[in-house]
Amino acid sequence: MSENETRRFLKLLFTSNEAKLGLVIVLVFLATALLVAIAGKSILPYNPIQQNVGPVLAAPSLQHLFGTDNLGRDVFSRIVFATPNALIVSVTVIASAFIVGIFLGCVAGFWSGILDEILMRSTDVIFAVPALILAMSIAVILGPGLINMMYALMIIWWPPYARLARGEALRVSQRNFIEVAKTSGIKTFTILRRHIIPNILSPLLAYATLDIGTVVVVYAGLSYLGLSVQPPTPDWGGMVSSYQDYLVSAPWLPLFPAAIIAAVVIGFSLLGNGLRDAIESRNIS
Amino acid sequence: MNFITFILRRLGLAIFVLLGVTLITFTLSHLVSNNPLVAWLGRAASNPQLAALYVQKYHLDSPLYVQFGYYISGLLHGDLGFSVFKGEPVSEALIQTLPFTLQIAFFAILLTLGIGIPLGVLSARYNHTAIDYGITGFYLAGIASPYFLLALFLLVILTYTLHLLPSGGALSPGVPPPIPITNFQLIDSLIEGRWSTFLDGLVHLVMPSLALALGIFGYITRVLRASILDVLHTNYIRTARAKGVDENTLFFKHALRNASIPVVTLASIVVTWLVTGTLFVEAIFAYPGVGQYAVQALSNLDYPSLMAITLAFAVIIVLSNLVADILYAVVDPEIRLQ
Repeated sequence: MSENETRRFLKLLFTSNEAKLGLVIVLVFLATALLVAIAGKSILPYNPIQQNVGPVLAAPSLQHLFGTDNLGRDVFSRIVFATPNALIVSVTVIASAFIVGIFLGCVAGFWSGILDEILMRSTDVIFAVPALILAMSIAVILGPGLINMMYALMIIWWPPYARLARGEALRVSQRNFIEVAKTSGIKTFTILRRHIIPNILSPLLAYATLDIGTVVVVYAGLSYLGLSVQPPTPDWGGMVSSYQDYLVSAPWLPLFPAAIIAAVVIGFSLLGNGLRDAIESRNIS
Repeated sequence: MNFITFILRRLGLAIFVLLGVTLITFTLSHLVSNNPLVAWLGRAASNPQLAALYVQKYHLDSPLYVQFGYYISGLLHGDLGFSVFKGEPVSEALIQTLPFTLQIAFFAILLTLGIGIPLGVLSARYNHTAIDYGITGFYLAGIASPYFLLALFLLVILTYTLHLLPSGGALSPGVPPPIPITNFQLIDSLIEGRWSTFLDGLVHLVMPSLALALGIFGYITRVLRASILDVLHTNYIRTARAKGVDENTLFFKHALRNASIPVVTLASIVVTWLVTGTLFVEAIFAYPGVGQYAVQALSNLDYPSLMAITLAFAVIIVLSNLVADILYAVVDPEIRLQ
């Protein structure tokens, strides 16, 4: 995209207020995650792991924005401290799915035939099991922990990307300029790199933005089930499950981390929807 | 392609997919450790007699592909392995728990359609008004909520604040469960003629199924809204309008009927969400279905149960996709030609 085109695209994207709201949420999330990852615990109001920094089960107040938990830990600091993990998990899983998807999708779409058939049927199989259930089965075999959970997610996350890339590769490779390139003796790899991949990037990117929300939800689900970071390190899903026992006396405890997850998901889906619409209307105009 | 060929092709694909899933569960149970006995028996694997029995029963001394063959044939005979933690065959545990989950799923689907369709119609009818934006915000919040948020939220509001509904379980304490005939508690209590038990069971189903429905109805609303708006711009609606058909007849009789067809394609998303959601909802509401069984199996590292549950969920999803595909082909003949 030239600079002019980029400007027009951004204008298209931000005509919608929803996309703007999405971008704001996503930026806050990214900034928080990066800040905590770089500066560590020192920028938080309280040490997220230290107990008794305040009274036990205190209601939200100015001292403790989201209240304190059963061990007197500051819930706000704990939620903020868990942000980098959510970012790392979602970015790693999406990036690996993206790369694997493009690779497999191009191979299947460009050469078709038996490879294509094998790939499509294996995606059918993986689609038959809900992502969270399959990731859970794999993660439990690998053993609990953030890294193993990420492996489990990476193993199962690529199929929609491969399908999307395959469809686009198939579509693009039937166009005339690819035929011309093929007959004029340009190497297949060069055709893929120069013509096919750039053409399939934008729909995949829009899908990936939407999909980050899904990764965050599934990640939260798995860590709720105890398959991610182990206590006392805070983790959104894990906080919900351990605070659930205080639902009667301190309902804000499990509800705050759960609502934060929802907010991040909403941010990415609003931005993703905006991106998709902008790409579609750019293609039409 | 005629209709029979279409169904046969879909059926073939479904069988292939299920075979693929068994390959995954088989591989996973062999990856637990070098010795699959540990996976299946847990600590009991150190008992030599039991171990020998298992090696013989599951042909663990044969090559892997032979074991896979025996695994499939076992599955076809209803042998899903033995759950050490439950102390009974996995198939038995599934027969006990699956009806509870199907009860929740049934009501969750009713609620999903009951909330999703009217809201979709409303937001299309009042397109780009405050009503439309309000509904959009409502369903976005539902879709974005992690599986456990809605359940916890409903608990806080409906149970702990308003004291309207029980906090969990399938029946109130002290209410004896009906004699199991079909294993569906609601049906069994009706067979016995115990209305109070039936109603008690129903009351306990409200929150779990509502928690699931609130998370998924948004997909129905979104697709129905878009589809109605598409249909309203077609020529036959314009013609009908030009002929003087009044707006309400136009909307409800002509547009809505055709706009409902794409909703069928959501069956896969809805069922997948329900299946995943039961894990969390049943655990939170202490509802004795497959979801709670899965969570217990997880914390007890009961691999045979986990693999069987994964497989059972896949069967549910593949079957409902098959039904949805066939239904779609019935309402939209164009699909069969593709």
